[in-house]
Amino acid sequence: MNKWLSLIGLSLASLLITGCSGSDSERDDGTSTRPNSDRITIALLPKLKGIAYFTSCAEGAQQAADELDNVELIYNGPTTASADKQAQMIDKWRLQGVDVIAVAANDPAVLSESLKKAQDAGITVITWDADAQAEDRSFFVNQATAEAIGGGMVDTMANDLGGPDAVGEVAIISATATAANQNEWMKHMETRLQSYPNLKLVATKFPGEDQNAAFQDSQDLIKKHPNLKGIFGISSVSFPGAAEAVKQAGKTGEILVTGLSTPNDMQPYVKGGEVKTVVLWNTQDLGYLTVYAAAAIRSGELQPGATEFTAGRLGKKQVSGDQILLGDILLFTTENIDQFDF
Amino acid sequence: MKYRREASLLILVAVLSLLATLFDGSFVRDNTLDILINSIPTMIISCGVMLVIITGEIDISVGSLLGLLAAILALLCSTVSPGLGIHPYLAIPIVLTIGTLIGLGTGCLVVYGRVPSIIATLGLLIALDGAQDWLMGGGDIKHFPQQLRNLGTGTKLPINLIFTILVVVATGLLCRKTALGRRIYAVGSNRSAARLAGISEAKIKLFVFALTGLLTAMAATLWVAKLGNVSTSTGAGLELKVVTCVVVGGIAIRGGRGRLLGVVLAVILITMIRTVLNFMDLGSEAVKWQRAIEGVMILVAVTSDHFSQRQQSGGSS
Repeated sequence: MNKWLSLIGLSLASLLITGCSGSDSERDDGTSTRPNSDRITIALLPKLKGIAYFTSCAEGAQQAADELDNVELIYNGPTTASADKQAQMIDKWRLQGVDVIAVAANDPAVLSESLKKAQDAGITVITWDADAQAEDRSFFVNQATAEAIGGGMVDTMANDLGGPDAVGEVAIISATATAANQNEWMKHMETRLQSYPNLKLVATKFPGEDQNAAFQDSQDLIKKHPNLKGIFGISSVSFPGAAEAVKQAGKTGEILVTGLSTPNDMQPYVKGGEVKTVVLWNTQDLGYLTVYAAAAIRSGELQPGATEFTAGRLGKKQVSGDQILLGDILLFTTENIDQFDF
Repeated sequence: MKYRREASLLILVAVLSLLATLFDGSFVRDNTLDILINSIPTMIISCGVMLVIITGEIDISVGSLLGLLAAILALLCSTVSPGLGIHPYLAIPIVLTIGTLIGLGTGCLVVYGRVPSIIATLGLLIALDGAQDWLMGGGDIKHFPQQLRNLGTGTKLPINLIFTILVVVATGLLCRKTALGRRIYAVGSNRSAARLAGISEAKIKLFVFALTGLLTAMAATLWVAKLGNVSTSTGAGLELKVVTCVVVGGIAIRGGRGRLLGVVLAVILITMIRTVLNFMDLGSEAVKWQRAIEGVMILVAVTSDHFSQRQQSGGSS
């Protein structure tokens, strides 16, 4: 009974969606400048629009589109990080007949069908920021490898603690023990820590997504290890949690916290002194590179098997298998954090 | 023995403290205050959920409700866009009112809509979480005015802890010294007798649900004040922790029986487990078992009491 109801609901919903998109594309046909053979229409889909992170990616993407005469950029996305909404937008763009769809995937499995259909319709599908299933896209524009992130955080901490000979105890506060990204980063962090013989990793904590637990774990670490000099807060929950715990313990300046974050999110702690350096990649460059890659793939300039391609002002970028690498991480400190607004 | 559950909880707290002292001689002196402060959100909300469970109902929406209310407070107070920068002393009453109204709405759903409370609040758990995600739009909210942060980070005087103690004392007085408190127990222990005695079951239940909403709003306020950061995951999973504390604290899940003291001890116990494990040298692999150890602790607390009860009743018969 329930199964039938949901089936009917689903078919009604899909009728509704395709119906709407149909009329949309008709209207577009009439009014917009349809791409002729040498113009490339690129649809850039963020995980969600309206947040500073993706807005700054879009700014970079627009710069690239302005530089490339033959590119028309559409930037749109759902207002919440919903894979279903993304699938609807991909379907709509397929019917409109765009040339390239570049997706930051909220959920590879949910998007799979829409992406396959788009590819079948002759659209070039690539991913950026967050990958989809490998067979559903041609290339992934990878903002930073796990090695660049993990190693970068350790280098940053060591640098802030006094360079190659930095001395002290450090600890990692992760997310859940099963978080794939974090575990991958930690593997590279532990490898890189070996280059700093006097930095000793004394504890790794897994507070999950619980802010209170992240705070409590940091607080306990600070008391348990009086010689603690640095904390890596490697999730969006544990980074501010650790910084707040250091602040409330009155250890500002004695214990440094670092991690991955957008500059705006950690700006108060950078100004406060709990955090000396925030690690991230250049989000504008990520959007910029994505558009250059999209155009190059569509025009046949960048083909599978290539090892590098030239992306405007970014110069030559490395291509590794089906991944295009943005490369270096970007560090935010008191000196430059005000120049970035995302 | 009347206070059997409380006694076994107290023994567990003592054993854990002793264990941690073996690893760090000044554990108790260094951590007592922090453990109490870290227990605040669970403690305040448990006072409300305890009363709901005593009336024979349950409220498992409190985690999402805290998250939603924290998001509302954050959006009202945050000094950076999309925050509105409203003065906290104006924003807090708004949030307390919204919390109370949502609690009252939950009560109406249960009392007048005749939806079993576990189902009604399960639905709300999901719906309120969705509302929180929608409100937040994906990003964290930070940058709160100092007047708000002072409530959670009072350096000399822990205002938040003093407030929490007042809430606990008031709840204790409500349970033991007032007619309303006796009615709350009466509704849960024997509905038909309560009805015959002229107690309005509907009013009592509406009251406890609304009170839980209000207390959750208070907890949300202190949460934001202390941590200074609201994300879409704020409050997630708190409902389980609260219900665990209430049940471990000796409140009968079918209603009518149980005391606040047990709940207070259970909240302290469950909060301190994390810190005790952090102070024991478990190594980075064993740390992954932390949740399993927490679960075993809870089972020990409940079953030890259960066995001693059976032994005693076996002996007396």
